[in-house]
Amino acid sequence: MQKTKFPAVLATFVLCYAFWILLTWSFSAQELAAGAIVSLAAALFSARFFIHDKAFWFLRPARLGALIAYVFIFLGELIKANVDMAKRCFGGCKNIDPGVIRVPVGLKGDYAQAMLANSITLTPGTITLDIAEDQEGQAYYYIHWIDVQSTDPDQAGEMIKGNLERGIRRIWE
Amino acid sequence: MTALRIVIDLLIAVGAIFALAGTIGVNKMPDTFSRMQASTCTSTLGVVGVCLGALLYAIFFKQDPATAIKVVVIGLLVITINPVGAHAIMKGAYRHGVRPDKEMKIDDFRRDFDE
Repeated sequence: MQKTKFPAVLATFVLCYAFWILLTWSFSAQELAAGAIVSLAAALFSARFFIHDKAFWFLRPARLGALIAYVFIFLGELIKANVDMAKRCFGGCKNIDPGVIRVPVGLKGDYAQAMLANSITLTPGTITLDIAEDQEGQAYYYIHWIDVQSTDPDQAGEMIKGNLERGIRRIWE
Repeated sequence: MTALRIVIDLLIAVGAIFALAGTIGVNKMPDTFSRMQASTCTSTLGVVGVCLGALLYAIFFKQDPATAIKVVVIGLLVITINPVGAHAIMKGAYRHGVRPDKEMKIDDFRRDFDE
């Protein structure tokens, strides 16, 4: 198990406390003190599960900018895929051609890979089944695709996650 | 204010339309995995549309920050937790032996993990 580090505790504490203030939305001394104590306790217990890496990763403007840019990239992809999926559903659910395809991932690090996998799952039409690694350390996703347009791994990967992967690489590298 | 009201109504209507599409898909898709795929329609643009509409309404008509923040939290939670559940259900169903009636076009998972 990982050791509890001070920056991780601090970051978790700030997040919890901000949440507390936002949710209670009262600024009496009593509420603020209770919130601080509860947040500190929660941070002490959960920081080592919550933050595995550098706690202040997003405090650099370039990374924060990349994250905000990614939200818009993702929204664009989301709307495209949603319209496509809605068309299939209203069209009687007939023109589908499902399959599970293995595509290579060009990202390093747990956070980046998990973020990309979740983004793929959130996009209608593709769901990540599993992540696997081969002997050389190359990671692969197994993706269930509702309409398999290409069985070539690289081409399919570009079609499923090309834009998303480029956006995420800018955040985590 | 009227223009804003129209935008809010449109956002909620769009969310409802995508939720309807997802529901139709869940009922009519031919196999388990395709049904799961259709359900993501509901949980993404359906939820995002309704939440955005509710957020604007809470800010500009009710003028109630607590409600606005709760709406944002609901949206964020659905967006972050939903893929984890979807992934777990898909993999669980596949491991359990659920297969579509029609043969899939390509099935790398079976090739690599099925004995």
